[in-house]
Amino acid sequence: MNRPALLVLCVAAALIPETASAARISEITETQFWDQAVRFFSFQDPALRFALSGSLLLGICCGLMGAFLVVRKLALMGDALSHAVLPGVALGFLWNMTKDPVAIFIGATLAGLLGAGTVRWLQNTTKHKEDAALGFVLASFFGVGICLFTMIQNLPGGKQSGLEQFMFGQASALGRDDVILLLIITIFIAGTVLIFFKEFLLTSFDAGFARSTGLRVQLFHYGLMLMLAFAIVASLQAVGVVLVSAMLVIPAAAAYLLTDRFGLMLVLAAAFGMISGGVGSFFSFVGRNLPTGPFMVLAAGLVFALALGFGPRHGIVSRWWRHRCRKSRIRRENTLKSIYHVLEANDFHSESISLHELAERRHETLEDARGQIRALRREGLATVYGDDVNLTPPGWQRACEIVRNHRLWELYLTNAADMPADHVHDDAEETEHLLGEETVRKLERRLNYARLDPHGKLIPGVEDIRRGRTTKPAPRATGYGGPR
Amino acid sequence: MYARHNCILRKLRHTAVVPPAEPSPLEIHDLTVAYHKKPVLYGIDLHAPAGSLIGIIGPNGAGKSTLIKAVMGLLPAASGWVKIFGKSFQENCHRVGYVPQRESVDWDFPVSVMDVVLMGRYGRLRLAQRPTKSDKAIARECLEKVHMLPFANRQIGNLSGGQQQRVFLARALAQESDLYLMDEPFVGVDAATESAIITLLRELKDAGKTLLVVHHDLATARQYFDMLLLMNMRLVAFGPTQEVFTSEILQTTYGGRLTILSDVVQALDSQL
Amino acid sequence: MQELIPAFDWHSVIVEPWTRDFVFTGWIVLMGFFATAACGLIGNYLLLRRMALVGDAISHSILPGLVVAFMIFKTNATWVMFAGAFAAGIVTVLLIEFIHKQSRIKPDAAICIAFTILFAIGVALMSGLAQSGSIHIDADCVLYGEIAFVPLEPPAVWRGIELGPPSVIRMGLVLLATLAAIAVFYKELLITSFDAALAKSLGMRAGFWHYALMGALTTAVVSAFEAVGAILAVAMLIVPPMFAAQLSNRLPMRLALTVLHAALSALIGVHLSVWLQCSTAGAMVVAAAALFTAVWIPSLISQAARRWIRPAPEETLSWAATSENALKE
Repeated sequence: MNRPALLVLCVAAALIPETASAARISEITETQFWDQAVRFFSFQDPALRFALSGSLLLGICCGLMGAFLVVRKLALMGDALSHAVLPGVALGFLWNMTKDPVAIFIGATLAGLLGAGTVRWLQNTTKHKEDAALGFVLASFFGVGICLFTMIQNLPGGKQSGLEQFMFGQASALGRDDVILLLIITIFIAGTVLIFFKEFLLTSFDAGFARSTGLRVQLFHYGLMLMLAFAIVASLQAVGVVLVSAMLVIPAAAAYLLTDRFGLMLVLAAAFGMISGGVGSFFSFVGRNLPTGPFMVLAAGLVFALALGFGPRHGIVSRWWRHRCRKSRIRRENTLKSIYHVLEANDFHSESISLHELAERRHETLEDARGQIRALRREGLATVYGDDVNLTPPGWQRACEIVRNHRLWELYLTNAADMPADHVHDDAEETEHLLGEETVRKLERRLNYARLDPHGKLIPGVEDIRRGRTTKPAPRATGYGGPR
Repeated sequence: MYARHNCILRKLRHTAVVPPAEPSPLEIHDLTVAYHKKPVLYGIDLHAPAGSLIGIIGPNGAGKSTLIKAVMGLLPAASGWVKIFGKSFQENCHRVGYVPQRESVDWDFPVSVMDVVLMGRYGRLRLAQRPTKSDKAIARECLEKVHMLPFANRQIGNLSGGQQQRVFLARALAQESDLYLMDEPFVGVDAATESAIITLLRELKDAGKTLLVVHHDLATARQYFDMLLLMNMRLVAFGPTQEVFTSEILQTTYGGRLTILSDVVQALDSQL
Repeated sequence: MQELIPAFDWHSVIVEPWTRDFVFTGWIVLMGFFATAACGLIGNYLLLRRMALVGDAISHSILPGLVVAFMIFKTNATWVMFAGAFAAGIVTVLLIEFIHKQSRIKPDAAICIAFTILFAIGVALMSGLAQSGSIHIDADCVLYGEIAFVPLEPPAVWRGIELGPPSVIRMGLVLLATLAAIAVFYKELLITSFDAALAKSLGMRAGFWHYALMGALTTAVVSAFEAVGAILAVAMLIVPPMFAAQLSNRLPMRLALTVLHAALSALIGVHLSVWLQCSTAGAMVVAAAALFTAVWIPSLISQAARRWIRPAPEETLSWAATSENALKE
């Protein structure tokens, strides 16, 4: 047992409780792991150079094409086509019974295009939906491919064909010709995408509109399918038939999570594809001819998991963090509001309230109230002396704002939306935290700067907020407010 | 003899004196569209006058969107022809602006508001040509017209329904066309956007453009459009709003559907 | 080419399998039939729900389930493999839903991401273990199975009677159970597949039936896995129902046609593999796809004909009549 196998075990550690025995064995061969790693990074080995450059190139091809698959919702088309090229590979091999890259390339591309065409025909001429059509092409082409493969193995020389590497991929089997072919394909794909970026963007985003501007949408669709077939065929040797679709979709999906611009998404997808390709070939090399495909896919999967978890805007962790921040802000604001209510109940005679009053107001234990106040103090919104709580000027301002938002909103709902006065409180509890300064201005204008809310309480105005905390808002009963 | 002579003379004078007028923005002759052998549109004839704001009205499934799509060749016609300013759509597609239904695109697509409006300029660019600075300026102007310039760099999914519709409208404006085809631009938009859109449409009409707008709301149709096209699988009536917005014609338009429905119900009953 | 495709000899291809190797051929055909029929029956519902490729996903992700179960329990006893595969199936469904719900990734990409990652974990673990010499699952076997080994298994014995290879017996039981479940819960499965909202309004738990179907799917695929492998199991899920849907519009008829198609493709597949000397499971899939193509081509031709030849005048007239009537009334 060697080190990479252990690493794989670590990847799956969540599923497997027993990695201990593997770890013990690995210690014996640890030096070998480092030797291999050093060899990898010295780039001395020509075979290694081919393998690595091939992996990087295929990452670019797959990433670029995958970006289109993801935004066009064609991910499963990638899956179907990558399986559908198998019979083409076999026929390309049969051409002159060698792994001639060009013959295999042509055969596989033709098979891929036939697969894409079959999906289209099935959808157009039967009532089957896309999923069934894709599944049919995937499975039946693969079945034909398997039959051909097993037939080849019965031929003289078929056993040593090395065709089984097309199943799970073997980057180290890449030769000079393969890499040159890959380079040509990569340049072709990248160049086409760059030149026709505008057209590809428009046909992907809004095909109907694209056709209305006179663009030949079908042409670009088939062009994309052709390039997809190229990318798949180019990656077959290193990734393998089964997992090419992963190299197409996963890096692109990670890029899709990270950016809102299609151009940037293409670049990121290509970069993630390269990273996955490089990492995959590294592990395959270090593990001495482990299949490359799965390792590339696992590397891509790791990138995707990171994007899914920690993407700045759409990541799960960042969204959770934002949600948490918002919740604690709302909790703070509710405490401020309660303090204001207590002060108001005392007719603003005193500047401070006791913890006890606050807890009573909020129907909480004293301990909970203390926790709330501690949160306020951390934010500099309140000060505490013993059991007395004082609002700082910013605290007072925020409290006034929240109460004002609440009461304004209640008034707005009763006046403008004709809701009964006893139905508006719960809605205002939610809305008070969301109203921005601008909306508040609009509300005030709309309500003619009313001073009384539907329940007859005073709405704190701008001057109250500015005037500081000691002043009782001056009653001005000429408001527009109150239930109609 | 004299009469015949006169007739020929008149013909000659007609061809000679009157300058060739701009052909109709949209001329449809006997257009039939079918899905899976079943006709959705049957024998539509239309001759839209230039500089008019035309509302297309009819019940659900009457083929309103189908008509618009068939005009642009997005759906194949089983028979009939369509002419845009006297030529086929392919030859004159740069003179047609299109606002598809809002649901027709994926709003999660990674493009910004500005990118979408720029797409309106793509039809005027050559293959593989990049949008120029002037294209960007025009796009910005169009965004300003629909009051969406502050959102230019937003991803399109982070907009409200009304804002999304405005973006689509700005894109159509950026096309700088003479004939606009709009598919349900008032669906799912707020009142402010609705009035903003209708003001904009009137401005376009006053500038001599022709607009065909699919609309679903009978209540507002009358005040929004100066011409109405009522259809239910085939053309029921087309003319100035005051003339065609009558209870009789509406009954024909919307009643036909109901009898089909009752037919189907009867057929189902007899099967069971 | 002659080396590749042996001459077709009637006697050795059609007759001998049933005279000389009757037992061998019989078990293979039976296994192929059971597997295709059980998967195909469930596939009918997948097709109705437009979830054909979820079947694809589950059949791939069974692999890590098998490998991990083997690593934990150090045995390849049937129930262990079964539990592992079942857990993997559920993990796949949950993972797809998680990715889809927690981000703006669309369901198709979510399916692709979930099962390829799981499959990659499976292959990586397998090859790691294979290098360390502690397990030998043939990699090819994962993809297209080894149905030809089925008759070689030591036969299962029940009260002293030799029943036959255990995997065939198991597959038969799964088929019986599937048939029984469809018979008993016919209306629930139908209505939740056709219209989940209606089912909910009728008080049925659409979610429950969804997961029940996924469970049945996993069971059928796991049992068939050994014989046909991951990818060819997809064919058995999708192709028979497509064949049936091409011929009939009624569900009971479709289910019956699925079973018929399963039997035919197993039979033809075996003879094909004898003739071409290729993988039996692969040949069965080729036969299944060929059967579908045979019923598809007529409609393909008629569609093409309609496109090139203008519609007949009567046809146009009938359109006129429909719309005319619709408006008159």
